[in-house]
Amino acid sequence: MKRHAIAPRPGWQDFANSVGFAFHTIDNEPYWDESAYYQFSLQQIEQNLETPTEELHQMALDLVPDILASEQLLQQLAIPERFWDYIAASWRSGEPHLYGRMDFSYDGNGPAKLLELNYDTPTSLFETGFFQWVWLEDQLMRGQLPQGADQFNSLQDKLEQAFAQLPLAQPFYFSSVTASIEDKGTVDYLMDIALQAGLNCRYIQLEQLGDIDGQLVDTDGFPINGLFKLYPWEFMLQEEFAGTILTSKTQWLEPGWKLLLSNKGILPLLWQKYQGHPNLLPAFFADKQPVEAGWVKKPLFSREGANIELVTANGQRLSEDGPYTDSGYIRQALAPLPKFGDNYTLIGSWVVGDSAAGICVREDNSLITKDSSRFLPHIILD
Amino acid sequence: MKVRPSKRSQKAALIFMLPAAGLVLNGCAEKQVEAQVFSTPDECAAFYNPPEQCQAAFAEAEQLHPKVAPRYANKQECEVDFGAGQCETAPEQHQQGSFFMPMMMGFMAGQMLNRGGLAPAAGQAASQQTAAASGRNTVPTQPLYKSRDDRNTFRTATNTAVASQPGTTTIRPSAVQPKPATLARRGGFGAQAAQRSANRSYGG
Repeated sequence: MKRHAIAPRPGWQDFANSVGFAFHTIDNEPYWDESAYYQFSLQQIEQNLETPTEELHQMALDLVPDILASEQLLQQLAIPERFWDYIAASWRSGEPHLYGRMDFSYDGNGPAKLLELNYDTPTSLFETGFFQWVWLEDQLMRGQLPQGADQFNSLQDKLEQAFAQLPLAQPFYFSSVTASIEDKGTVDYLMDIALQAGLNCRYIQLEQLGDIDGQLVDTDGFPINGLFKLYPWEFMLQEEFAGTILTSKTQWLEPGWKLLLSNKGILPLLWQKYQGHPNLLPAFFADKQPVEAGWVKKPLFSREGANIELVTANGQRLSEDGPYTDSGYIRQALAPLPKFGDNYTLIGSWVVGDSAAGICVREDNSLITKDSSRFLPHIILD
Repeated sequence: MKVRPSKRSQKAALIFMLPAAGLVLNGCAEKQVEAQVFSTPDECAAFYNPPEQCQAAFAEAEQLHPKVAPRYANKQECEVDFGAGQCETAPEQHQQGSFFMPMMMGFMAGQMLNRGGLAPAAGQAASQQTAAASGRNTVPTQPLYKSRDDRNTFRTATNTAVASQPGTTTIRPSAVQPKPATLARRGGFGAQAAQRSANRSYGG
């Protein structure tokens, strides 16, 4: 695993704008950064990322029935009791899931360490599946990368297969928060792929979702029988339409049971069940004790690095503010992100259905990866 | 030589995210038809229409009004769109009280009016018959409304502007097919996003 500088493609910003990638630069800071790329060997990809991703995914799925069978675990994960039966039913009836992303600390040597599962609302999908893919093709064509360079990125193919094969209601609706152009970009990309897979797709702003007699409806009052929502389950369970979830005949993506796996509480539960697994970090449910050196504290529910607090082995304390202060916490042994130059690098590894589907690389100036962390492309080349 | 399978997608194509690549759909295939728009049966009769037909069309629209008028959870929200004193209670109740709907401000009559002995041109009569025969291509008689900020324009229950003065207008039938009013409560998701507005994205 190496970091190489490379000249950006001339005019890539215009291309980005033309394909709806409006958030490539945020507040004049680069988000998509093609001034460098990461190179992995095929062995690093297959043995250290792809295989562990699928194994960890299965381990996480295997925990779902354990959690559903235990009131104590459901309480530890802060799942509202009112939704226990609903979540259990969503699992037992085999409601399909679409995708997720694991984040790893990995420097090219030794086992990748699982930092967390983003199994409900993972983003940076378009950047991975489309824009990074086009970057490789362009740079190969321009002779800027060695012929034979490949990329671990079957995301779009696998999503298209999933949309073609999953038993989804039609028309299938897609929804995101109106104010977020980034989330709309992610949803547009998913709809584009679903359309290519032959699905009848419609977009509805999350705030426009309606309820008639407990059934979720679109703006014309037609029932919504299938809905992809780029909005956290734990938010929905606290909002006015929480009750609608229980009564509406709606198939959700991700399904309700994904709430158990997107919860940071899954990390201590994985450690309890598979203690010593090479890809797992020691993790425990935390009370109010201060963070010790060599540990990270994370809220059960948080996104984009918010409300993370860590203390490095030599006592340096780092924390990130955020809006997720209303849930419990876990602590996890710190596996500091590797440093390449001045950059701390994190690897996101995608899962579609139950298959590993590619990676994305994020860089930040700090040990905590955030929504503003830069996205860099990668190649596979031995 | 054995070729190693690629680790990346065979293609990464976009369809609808690409600008101007899709088909442009427009309504030119659909013929416009005539309909008449009035505030009251008397106004209708003043336009050389048989008074009893005007009365019948008005009654038909009035009967449809409570079924199709847009619904609001309270009077204030309704008056924001339709103006003070322009809203009335709807037949349905919700947990916090009655739904409200705008008052009917006029009606649109389909092709049934026999306009006071003024025979329509032969070609038009033929096209209207064809349209009537095919069912979907007719303009159903229905109630009309006027919004607070545009008191001249008659609008259907689904907010399609149909005329800015009484009399004959031409219209695409598909734009004015009445639909049952939706009694949906809305805005029940998204409150957390509004509260936690520090975020750029609600994904992760």
